[in-house]
Amino acid sequence: MSAQIQRGENVVIGSLAQIGRCGLFLLRILAALPRSLRHARETVRQLWFVGAMSLTIIMTCGLFVGMVLSLQLYHVLSIFGGTSATGSVVALSVYRELGPVVTALLFAGRAGTSITAEIGLMRATDQIAAMEMMAVDPIAYVAVPRFLSGLIAMPLLCCVFCGLSIFGGHLVAVDWLGVDNGTFWSNMTSTVKVWDDVINGVIWKSLAFGGVVSLIAVFQGYTTAPTSEGVAYATTRTVVASSIAILALDFVLTAFLM
Amino acid sequence: MTDTVQAQPEDRALVRIRGLTTVLNGKVVFDKLDLDIPRGKVTAIMGPSGTGKTTLLKHITGQMRASAGEVWVDGLNVGELSRQALFDLRERIGYLFQNSALLTDFDVFENVAFPLRQHTRLPEVLIRNIVLTKLQAVGLRGAASLTPAELSGGMARRVALARAIVFDPMLILYDEPFVGLDPIALNQVLKLIRTLNETLGITSVLVAHELEAIKQVADHVYLIANGKVVGQGDPKSIEHDGSPWTRQFFGGEADGPVPFQYPAGDYAEALGFRQGAV
Repeated sequence: MSAQIQRGENVVIGSLAQIGRCGLFLLRILAALPRSLRHARETVRQLWFVGAMSLTIIMTCGLFVGMVLSLQLYHVLSIFGGTSATGSVVALSVYRELGPVVTALLFAGRAGTSITAEIGLMRATDQIAAMEMMAVDPIAYVAVPRFLSGLIAMPLLCCVFCGLSIFGGHLVAVDWLGVDNGTFWSNMTSTVKVWDDVINGVIWKSLAFGGVVSLIAVFQGYTTAPTSEGVAYATTRTVVASSIAILALDFVLTAFLM
Repeated sequence: MTDTVQAQPEDRALVRIRGLTTVLNGKVVFDKLDLDIPRGKVTAIMGPSGTGKTTLLKHITGQMRASAGEVWVDGLNVGELSRQALFDLRERIGYLFQNSALLTDFDVFENVAFPLRQHTRLPEVLIRNIVLTKLQAVGLRGAASLTPAELSGGMARRVALARAIVFDPMLILYDEPFVGLDPIALNQVLKLIRTLNETLGITSVLVAHELEAIKQVADHVYLIANGKVVGQGDPKSIEHDGSPWTRQFFGGEADGPVPFQYPAGDYAEALGFRQGAV
């Protein structure tokens, strides 16, 4: 029993230490921001890789999330004779929770793992050390552009996700299940508040999630053991840590923003 | 931070190492090591595997801090330099990594151009000419558009060499530069190292095991073992200096002051034979 308690203590202390190291790494990134301005081209290149290259999975998932949400809600609301509210409930669910959270989870799986694996392999093959030997700061050249690109890409991807979800919901509710088109849109526009739902729900949350996922991905890649096993562990840790952080942060942000 | 200590005019050593002690994971790698790298010469560092030759290069470039002792490069105490001063020093040092360490995002041309793009604002036409000149020197001008994945190990080392010399540095550190080179490429790389030394006066430090190649290119050789310099001298005569260290190392003998076997317990016991049973 005492051994289990000891093991539990070690896990908690290890996790807290890791969070502390991640925080210090964020400070290094922030300190390197001015130096990274001269690597703007690299930031744009990374924006293409983590943003544009994630569009397919974000758009596809957004469409299907909207469709299944609309289908489920229609059947539940029909019990109370409230199918006309399908559009507004789909929109509120997507803007407030599903859009930012699902986009962030997908982003962690698609772009976060790719960032971690790339930086981890750069470390394993001495590319990071080579940059330092060429007097190029790897934090400014490697870490900051990837962190910034995640920060910029997430809100944009979240907007695309939300748009496609609404479109998917409309396809199912209006074109398939026969909800009136005018009712679908008018209920939605009357219940959705731009500041509360779109700005707070979509923009702020996705910015926070983008920052957290990018930070975790870059940190895990940068601090990975320079072996193939180390890179594999780091990639897994990125997905696990990002998923937990997204859901925990979602609760905190929702509590503050509501 | 003492960033401004300048070399004494009479200091003929570009790199001066005094009392260097390094302990890694409880193992003593260097034990009060003293060593000088003369300016404008080609110096070879040799020694058994795991003796810390690459670690020594890392100390010279400030990639690794010593447990004790001092490393001076061109009058600067590397251990006391600020990060910016260290980067300024590194701009004057070329480093050839054991595994080439080419940037996989870029093609050969961009790999060689990388230091120029990061530290200068030269016009594109000048960058192109410098890069092509360096690639021509290593025989790979025609491979400028290839990616690192398309290169053989030997070709990758030559590209890394072109990148290391793109700034015509004052000091070049070569970590195992001859591994994976065919005889033609090996000969050309030897000539290149010698030419850089003779025409530009570049100081070179070679970590290598190939004595025949070292004999052709090096002016001085250090043999390191057990954390100390155990032999040094002219590469053409060092193997005959009569020391048990040089005799074992250059003769390739298993028995001698350097143990071939990593420390281990009783062999027969490890195989499951009890003492006296066989």
